[in-house]
Amino acid sequence: MKIPYSYLGRQFKNIDPYLKDIGRLVKSGDFTLGKDVAKFEASFAKLCKIPYAIGVSSGTDALILSLEILGIGHGDEVITAPNTFIASVGAIAMTGARPVFVDNNEEYTIDVNKIEKAITPKTKAILPVHLSGCPADMPKIMEIAKKHNLLVVEDAAQSILAAIDGKHVGSWGETACFSMHPLKNLNVWGDAGIIVTRSKELCEKLKLFRNHGLATRDEIEIFGHNSRLDSLQAVVANRLIKDVVSITDKRIANARRFDEAFSKLKGYITIPPRRKNVKQVYHTYVIQAKNRDGLYAHMLKKGVEVKIHYPIPLHLQKAAKYLGYKEGDFPLCEEHCRTIITLPVHQHLTSKEIDYMIKCVREFYLG
Amino acid sequence: MNIPYVDLAGQNKAIKKEILSAIGKVLESGQFILGKEVEAFEHSFAQLCGTKYALGVGTGTDALTLSLRALNIGHGDNVITVANSFVSTASCIALSGAKPVFVDVGEDYNINSSLIESAINSRTKAILPVHLTGRPADMAPILKIAEKHKLAVIEDCAQAVGAEYRGRRVGSFGKIGCFSLHPLKNLNACGDGGVLTTDDENLYRKLQILRNNGFSSRNDCDVWSANSRLDTVQAALLLVKLNYLKAWTDKRRANAQFYHEHLASLAQIKIPPEKPYEKSVYHTFVMQAENREQLIKFLENKGIGTKIHYPIPIHLQPAAKSLGQRKGSLPVTEEQSKKILSLPIYPELTAKELNYIVKCIHEFYGQ
Repeated sequence: MKIPYSYLGRQFKNIDPYLKDIGRLVKSGDFTLGKDVAKFEASFAKLCKIPYAIGVSSGTDALILSLEILGIGHGDEVITAPNTFIASVGAIAMTGARPVFVDNNEEYTIDVNKIEKAITPKTKAILPVHLSGCPADMPKIMEIAKKHNLLVVEDAAQSILAAIDGKHVGSWGETACFSMHPLKNLNVWGDAGIIVTRSKELCEKLKLFRNHGLATRDEIEIFGHNSRLDSLQAVVANRLIKDVVSITDKRIANARRFDEAFSKLKGYITIPPRRKNVKQVYHTYVIQAKNRDGLYAHMLKKGVEVKIHYPIPLHLQKAAKYLGYKEGDFPLCEEHCRTIITLPVHQHLTSKEIDYMIKCVREFYLG
Repeated sequence: MNIPYVDLAGQNKAIKKEILSAIGKVLESGQFILGKEVEAFEHSFAQLCGTKYALGVGTGTDALTLSLRALNIGHGDNVITVANSFVSTASCIALSGAKPVFVDVGEDYNINSSLIESAINSRTKAILPVHLTGRPADMAPILKIAEKHKLAVIEDCAQAVGAEYRGRRVGSFGKIGCFSLHPLKNLNACGDGGVLTTDDENLYRKLQILRNNGFSSRNDCDVWSANSRLDTVQAALLLVKLNYLKAWTDKRRANAQFYHEHLASLAQIKIPPEKPYEKSVYHTFVMQAENREQLIKFLENKGIGTKIHYPIPIHLQPAAKSLGQRKGSLPVTEEQSKKILSLPIYPELTAKELNYIVKCIHEFYGQ
């Protein structure tokens, strides 16, 4: 059996309805911001139960724009975890600020017990990442932020619809930043991102900032970026947003089946804690495996395209050299990099495929 | 008669089928990020400009931003440019942390090279000439000054795809050429897009990494960066449009020729003549008109859309307050901003429409 990681072929088997929508857009020439983008922003805000949403050109830009508009830049420090996708840290560095790492916990999110030790007079913000679709411990992070007068920007790239006690991600930070990259739970046909915020003022500033700082066609209020959600991608997103709840439910159901099966492989497989009040949306299904590299090779041989998110801790990347971290600084992150493995968990998997993957894992350990 | 300033719908209607079929092919491949269409477009674009390399990026603004980053220009540096351009010419410099230093323009709306040297100081790192309106800046003296003072030259070719200076295409003179593929450009995507050109292999490799979150391979991050990729679906439809670019450019030039001929007799209208060694691609057709505001209203009543590119020079914008260049510091730029007016110039204009526009302008000035 062959189970590729990407499901785009299955998802877009019938593209005629999309092409019809795009045809309408092409004929209208309404390619920059405009009504399709506005419609998507309104639907997305409603879905997240957050008042405002601002479409931008990528999840990375969502982070950069958020941090910059909050005044973070040269001389500042921003705290985040070292086990995330490169963009979380790239965004901090792009503002001119210095990324400061705090180890992650067993849930793969920032270890809130270690944040305070990393705070210095230069710290301006905390950037928790809801990695794999699991929300970081936001109530505790907000407590720390309040105490030390820090800003919080949520990296929600992988976590649309994730929630704690029924409160969606984006409910805590100044902003939350989502990606709609082709492999995200809500995905479009290229790069795209969206920011949500509860502040009208921030929303207005971000709308300026993503569009050259243009207050009107001729007046430039601030020097800004050009980072707009493409209308063409908004057209795709407007179709897919109708499916995102069922996509999420399917991923959660798939993850439950994996969890149940792998809970019988104690000693071989470690499933991260699943807190009852937390809704994880399984952008990725990441477990820790004994003899990971062996399992990885075995699964590939069996036709299952597994992945590792991510194999190199960010503090040990070449890009981080100037920050002066060394091996051993973040032991849990480093251990995870050696033990984590990602199985396909997407909404298009069949029951047979899930059984097959479980069988392959069992077979590797139990023969 | 109703003649809008731009008519995107008109252009796209004619090739809608081709565009949709190109997008459909990308869908079938499921490769939405970079990949074969982006490479094919880059290859064709490099050929078009006569450079070794071209690299698709998110926007024309990002092309400039990435160029500055690739050349290590940022905090504490100065970059010399003009104030009569679109805002992103200056904002990308300001957002890099460097300071835009504005030099006045000549009668051709492009940087006055005789004023550059007096603006150079020990902080100056680069000259960023703009080929405004689709007309090449006077590159020979600019390159000479840059060489003498060891400055990098970055060409802002956003409006000038295919323009020629002494037989060579723009984008092939500086270290890097930066093009926009915005829907209103001569070569236009159905959304935001940009492309860089360079002959320098090292710069090309560096820019490849910089546009893709700093990744030198799937897992290795060499340098923190953002994410700025030309969308694959846009590349696919740009490949279609490339086939039409020459015909479209010829038509723009013919339209401009018509205006030159039929407005020459009006003393109230000044149109900078094209010099024998340059080939403008007329992204905009910008004349200087007496009684401009009344003329705009008059033409509007006649159903003719016009625009001003741009009514407020960048150094007089609220965003530029901290840069310290006051009113009066760029007399030609400021004077031109009061008189310039852009007439419709797009390839789809009919002879009847052109005649009507010319007739109305003559009528306004009472001839």
